[in-house]
Amino acid sequence: MSKVQTKRLRRELYPKLRELTFGFVSDLEKCMQCGKCVGICPAAAVTTYNSRRMIHDIKSGNLQEVIESEELWSCFFCSACYASCPQDINFPFTVAMLRYASLYAGYGAEYVKKIIPYAQDYYARGLTVLQPEKNPLVLARRKANSGTSGDMGDIREQIGMPRERKVSDEALAEVQFISDVSGMTKLMERMLKTDDAAPKTRQRIEKVETVKTREGKFAGFPEEQENA
Amino acid sequence: MPRPEVMARIPVDDEYFLFRSCVASSKYPGMESSTKDVFEKIGVALRESDDQTCCAGFITFTSVAEVTATMPAVARNLSIPDEAGLNTVTMCNGCYTFLTEFGHFLQNNPAILGKVNEMLKMVGREYTGESQVLHMIDVLPKLQDRIAKQIVRPLKGLRIATHYGCHYLYGFKKDAIDDPFTPTVVEDLLEVAGATPVDYPEARTCCGSGLTQVVIHKEELSLPHMKAKFDSLKEAEVDAIVVVCPYCLTILDRGQAKMVDRGIADYEVPVLYITQLLGLAMGIDPVKLGLGANITSAQKFLDKLERLEKSRSTADAARGGAPKRPEEKTTDDQEAANA
Repeated sequence: MSKVQTKRLRRELYPKLRELTFGFVSDLEKCMQCGKCVGICPAAAVTTYNSRRMIHDIKSGNLQEVIESEELWSCFFCSACYASCPQDINFPFTVAMLRYASLYAGYGAEYVKKIIPYAQDYYARGLTVLQPEKNPLVLARRKANSGTSGDMGDIREQIGMPRERKVSDEALAEVQFISDVSGMTKLMERMLKTDDAAPKTRQRIEKVETVKTREGKFAGFPEEQENA
Repeated sequence: MPRPEVMARIPVDDEYFLFRSCVASSKYPGMESSTKDVFEKIGVALRESDDQTCCAGFITFTSVAEVTATMPAVARNLSIPDEAGLNTVTMCNGCYTFLTEFGHFLQNNPAILGKVNEMLKMVGREYTGESQVLHMIDVLPKLQDRIAKQIVRPLKGLRIATHYGCHYLYGFKKDAIDDPFTPTVVEDLLEVAGATPVDYPEARTCCGSGLTQVVIHKEELSLPHMKAKFDSLKEAEVDAIVVVCPYCLTILDRGQAKMVDRGIADYEVPVLYITQLLGLAMGIDPVKLGLGANITSAQKFLDKLERLEKSRSTADAARGGAPKRPEEKTTDDQEAANA
């Protein structure tokens, strides 16, 4: 990439990206399209996910395509692309931030909604994964292997632990306070209200105002010079 | 090979703060109990706190919580070891990644750290970042000599494969204890426990689940990964696979049962956490190690260990009951493995 092009990217693309990605922007202009990331990517092996193409799209100003795409939701942050990248681009981080951008543009709620119960557990109990188990296959196998009823409380007791791991009431109150103040609780409520059947809005990214208003909401992320 | 410069900066303390994983506590409690037992044996105290919550990594990486919400949550959890003046040991790759990544970010962005602390001050806490966050496989190699002294039941003749998981080595390609593509730290620990580490072609393949594949996407996407991994494990004829992350353990353990249930696979490879394996070699009762919580039964593995021990002691008795000298052990192992 020529110096002029790099400068143009820094001047034009990053301010736009920063708006969408809470100020976390990776060094995408360093990408030389070698494709090592795609070669090692477990998601690319079984889906149409292609990090090289996504970076190319972003660099050529085609953000909208990436944000609307289903493949944005295929990454599961194993970071193999980062580990193999000769230019040390932390692409998983960019993906995480692009997903927020996608959500604000009205896409991808169907992928997030399924996680809401876990977030509700985190809010109510302080733990994301709780003891109750519904899967009959797991319960039956656990019963046979442990020689107990298969219930997690019994198994914990069998190995000399309290029946349940508890988070203190003070800690719960603190977590709920942080969640309320930082807007997480509201976001969860809004996600639950999203209707799966509703037609997806095909907004242009430039028109997404919500991102702008949210930027200064809690922390107000630093300007580029502070980040550098 | 562990990186000497990283090894050098890992502190060896008398006491660590144990950052408990919610998957380990709620689904595989043996990981937690075996960690405590092993650390007790090697003379290192672990402190826990009920004020510690989930690291919130799961809901952040799945975009439910925004970074603005999870950064103070991370700082709150890290303020507990900060206050106690202890370094943190995490049991989970996810907790490690999440705490370290955001810890670094806060340390390098004083403006945000100030705002986060403003919020924490309202609940009477402060995050200074003075204490270090360490992974289980940062600490165990440093204590290798102490572990070696406690091995009373060497796992001789058992072929064990490793699975490092993505989030530790890949995400920290410069700061992790070992190279992301050719790590050997866990293999070294297996050798200390007397087992035979086995390499297999799909060793670096992800367990196929990651954070979102099981909950969000269809299993048709993740099962092919798992199948490839286990096919290669089966070919390598391993007795068990050792992991360093509760989430990998959950996926590998349950995935096999799922594949067998659907008739696309016919094998069962027991999955153990590193401290469960070390605990076994230290002579801790398998029931106390919580292997019963595993969906894929570890009984086959335990039976083989007993069988090998028995055949070794009969061989000893035939020779007149004289204790073996270390030089003679290798050939015996070969015979026992072939038997």
